[in-house]
Amino acid sequence: MLYFIGLGLADERDITVAGLEIVRRAERVYLESYTSLLLVPQTTLETFYNRPIILADRELVESASTTILADAATTDIAFLVVGDPFGATTHTDLLLRAREQNIPTRTIHNASIMNAIGACGLQLYNFGQTVSMVFFTDNWRPESWYEKVKQNADIGLHTLVLLDIKVKEQDWDAIARGAKGAKQYKPPRFMTVAECASQMVEVAERRKKEEGEETCYDGDSLAVGVARLGSKEQKIVAGRLSELVDVDMGKPLHSLVLMGKRVHELEIDFVREFAVDKESFDESVKKGGYGTTA
Amino acid sequence: MNSDEPFFTVEEIRGLMDVATNIRNMSVIAHVDHGKSTLTDSLVQRAGIISAAKAGEARFTDTRQDEQDRGITIKSTAISLYATLPDEDVKDIKQITKGNNFLVNLIDSPGHVDFSSEVTAALRVTDGALVVVDCVSGVCVQTETVLRQAIGERIKPVVIINKVDRALLELQVTKEDLYQTFARTVESVNVIIATYFDASLGDVQVYPYQGTVAFGSGLHGWAFTVRQFAGRYAKKFGVDKMKMMERLWGDNFFNPKTKKWTKTESYEGKNLERAFNQFILDPIFRIFAAIMNFKKEETTTLLEKLEIVLKGDEKDLEGKALLKVVMRKFLPAADALLEMIVMHLPSPVTAQKYRAETLYEGPVDDECGVGIRDCDPKGPLMLYVSKMVPTSDKGRFYAFGRVFSGTARSGLKVRIQGPNYVPGKKDDLFIKAIQRTILMMGRFIEPIEDVPAGNILGLVGVDQFLLKSGTLTTSETAHNMKVMKFSVSPVVQVAVEVKNANDLPKLVEGLKRLSKSDPCVLTFISESGEHIVAGAGELHLEICLKDLEEDHAGIPLKISPPVVSYRETVGAKSSMTALSKSPNKHNRLYVTAEPLDEEVSTAIESGKISPRDDFKARARILADEFGWDVTDARKIWCFGPDGNGANLLIDQTKAVQYLNEIKDSVVSGFQWATREGPVAEEPMRSIRFNILDVTLHADAIHRGGGQIIPTARRVLYASTLLADPGLLEPVYLVEIQVPEQAMGGIYGVLTRRRGHVFEEAQRPGTPLFNIKAYLPVNESFGFTADLRSNTGGQAFPQSVFDHWQILPGGSVLDATTKPGQIVNGLRQRKGLKDAVPDYTNYYDKL
Repeated sequence: MLYFIGLGLADERDITVAGLEIVRRAERVYLESYTSLLLVPQTTLETFYNRPIILADRELVESASTTILADAATTDIAFLVVGDPFGATTHTDLLLRAREQNIPTRTIHNASIMNAIGACGLQLYNFGQTVSMVFFTDNWRPESWYEKVKQNADIGLHTLVLLDIKVKEQDWDAIARGAKGAKQYKPPRFMTVAECASQMVEVAERRKKEEGEETCYDGDSLAVGVARLGSKEQKIVAGRLSELVDVDMGKPLHSLVLMGKRVHELEIDFVREFAVDKESFDESVKKGGYGTTA
Repeated sequence: MNSDEPFFTVEEIRGLMDVATNIRNMSVIAHVDHGKSTLTDSLVQRAGIISAAKAGEARFTDTRQDEQDRGITIKSTAISLYATLPDEDVKDIKQITKGNNFLVNLIDSPGHVDFSSEVTAALRVTDGALVVVDCVSGVCVQTETVLRQAIGERIKPVVIINKVDRALLELQVTKEDLYQTFARTVESVNVIIATYFDASLGDVQVYPYQGTVAFGSGLHGWAFTVRQFAGRYAKKFGVDKMKMMERLWGDNFFNPKTKKWTKTESYEGKNLERAFNQFILDPIFRIFAAIMNFKKEETTTLLEKLEIVLKGDEKDLEGKALLKVVMRKFLPAADALLEMIVMHLPSPVTAQKYRAETLYEGPVDDECGVGIRDCDPKGPLMLYVSKMVPTSDKGRFYAFGRVFSGTARSGLKVRIQGPNYVPGKKDDLFIKAIQRTILMMGRFIEPIEDVPAGNILGLVGVDQFLLKSGTLTTSETAHNMKVMKFSVSPVVQVAVEVKNANDLPKLVEGLKRLSKSDPCVLTFISESGEHIVAGAGELHLEICLKDLEEDHAGIPLKISPPVVSYRETVGAKSSMTALSKSPNKHNRLYVTAEPLDEEVSTAIESGKISPRDDFKARARILADEFGWDVTDARKIWCFGPDGNGANLLIDQTKAVQYLNEIKDSVVSGFQWATREGPVAEEPMRSIRFNILDVTLHADAIHRGGGQIIPTARRVLYASTLLADPGLLEPVYLVEIQVPEQAMGGIYGVLTRRRGHVFEEAQRPGTPLFNIKAYLPVNESFGFTADLRSNTGGQAFPQSVFDHWQILPGGSVLDATTKPGQIVNGLRQRKGLKDAVPDYTNYYDKL
């Protein structure tokens, strides 16, 4: 049996009892380490589980999945995923491959950013499509997320923006240019709320300037930044995007929510507590027409 | 002009630089051994702007010891000349000039085909060319190559038919024979010029009666143009000089009885003598006959008649030595050449008007385009660096180039834009100050404060930021100056190793320097870790390796036998659509490969179709001239490898969302794949890839470079392997000059080496035959020596890369065929797995 086990958001103790039991008895335990990460090191997990675990990087999961699936038909293999196993689409492929080989699978769910984000005060019912924000490079500045943000905004919904993390990424551009020798990895990077806000403002301004578009948000739009959600050092900050550009949220992981206009008064009261500057927050709510229902 | 050598201070030279209308930037180009450098010497000795002692001895522009030893030019060298023309000549100049003083910047370039890239670099910074043609051997393969290149760069030619002394002394021809030889040579030059006609440049064919052809002997230091003789006779006959010029060439005869000019060559049953023979060749023939037959009295009479005065010990000379002195005084080569150059070659002001659009990649009406067009010293700086010249300071280089707009000066902060720079981006861009601007003349280097538009110069401190060539500008919106296209490619390569392991760092550094110092050489590290040096031919490699061993690296080296570089291609359309999935399986690419027409590939390699063209104009050419579908032609994503090779990636997808967000990644994968093909990791050539469909993950985070780049490469590999992959081998065009009796040996040697003769022609009036043949480069090693030993040393071959041909003998995937064995050899050398991987290694099932 191949078990997909959610680890929750913060540390080693967030695993569910059901999950823990499986981890303790499984033949091999893999920890997926590239779509998200816990706020504690691998050794802390191993001590708590009282057993060794194997770190599964992108290459192992994507290019050498047969190693993970070996013997899974007859023995128990656990595949640990930070958050909830199906919080993102990444692992459907592993599940499909297991299915192809007639390996039975089971999923143990857990909390994910997709539901825990409710902690910021915005109601889960009022969220639209989730988007991801990638690190912009000199020649790769994808904007396809904007269309989804716009669709959400058009009906007044909030948008949860997941932020890029780069752990043990190969430098493909260098390889394609002909770099030879041992595999080259870029240093790990985690996008901050400030970086995300600045990229979003950049895109809105570009669209306004170059395409004369009436953008669905701008630097004055309200957003909520969250860091290390679910942990003791959790931090939440609300404000205009232009304010969030300068905010320091500390260590990873970060996420951001762009507020929709169809926001309930209760949501506003809740979020206001996190405002960088309460006065400017109130002014933005008024000016921006938040809560007036679309 | 004064016969004393003029010496100029830097300030005086700088003064001349300001008058752009009176500058002539020109190259001397020719087939090897037609006498360029000797001819240049006669100019420099007479009109050199700095003393010969300062700049070197004989073969003044051959600054390297090996050039002097071998008697060939390897590197092009610039030298400045000063000319003063009398008023009567200046008024005949058909472009704007100021006063009588002219600055001629002359670049002597190599004639051997292996060094054609030096010629390309020279042509870029000049506006005119003096084409030297040997009157005995006539127009040869390299004459044609350099003329074609010159016209392609919009360089106006004038011609000197050289080595006339040989025709007179060795072949003992008659006057009419000599005239016919001249006429034929001029005709063959004009045929080439007409073939590459460029409307913007206008008709640049050369005609003796217009003064654009000179005749002479570089070795003996004499030359003349029809115009010069016309000047002498115009007064005597009391007719207009222009009219006289026309009469002194072609079928024009003077009837001494009627004292009339006529077009028919006989009168009352007697043949008349052609005016050219009678008025121009006759005095020359008489001088030769009198002096070479030691007829003292006749000689004295002749000299008096021609007003030639001999000084002191010159009177004691006789035979050839006397002939030289007399001819030099009668028809000084420098006078004829300088007159021809100044009168008929364009100034930068004239030339840049029609060259601007071919020189500049950006719109001709932006500030830089306008600056170039007007040769405006006050415009934004536009400076093209065409090559790097080693300094005495080891490892450092002067950047050699020309100011096309603005003024370059020491300390000026400039944008240094390499060949890969794209306006608005930061790749291949440095912003630095020019450390020093310098004058470069032969071996002579002198600092100069600033250099205005239209002049050639050297720069210190730029070498660290440019590999081989590039654009320097002060305008933030400037596009690049067009990259030079070389007519030769580095098809022969060797692996080099250090003899002493400790020397490795020196080798690495030396290779870097070698790469910088030569426009054409390639150096790189192969997959298996070997250091490879690739050059245009055996001689080019030999010179490069000698430089590497003795100079750039300065260490003993082990050098492998030369090997040829191949290209991977396809013979058919992919037998099915190739599909590859990204590592996360969320993205899928569907691609087919098919052969690109040879005509299109050639057009890409010659620069006729280029990635930098406007895509609509390019699509028009592809549709009109190559029968492409316009929609496809407009959807060329890129060229590769290196962004400019002869492989194309076409987007044939329909309505794929977010496609442009993965374009860069697909392009990177394409550059990678085309640089190292699936068969033997040789570059691909002449393949067209069609992207038929793409499915993508909805979220950008799951379709970044890490997902798309390797997938693009895999799908291109799979489609290639499904499309009857093959190897292309490079083929030389070999031109051999040989006397009839030694011809038999040539056929034997060629046949043994898979070569074949496709043209055989006798040179009229000589026992020499010109043979043209195709010879695979792979079979060419030791060809010259082999040929010499089989023809008693009488055959002289010149090989120049001509085209790629499919390696015959079966599939590259079958190890028992000849191509299969060559592929195995390549794979072994590169340390790859023995067999070519099956397409299933790159293909994913649905």
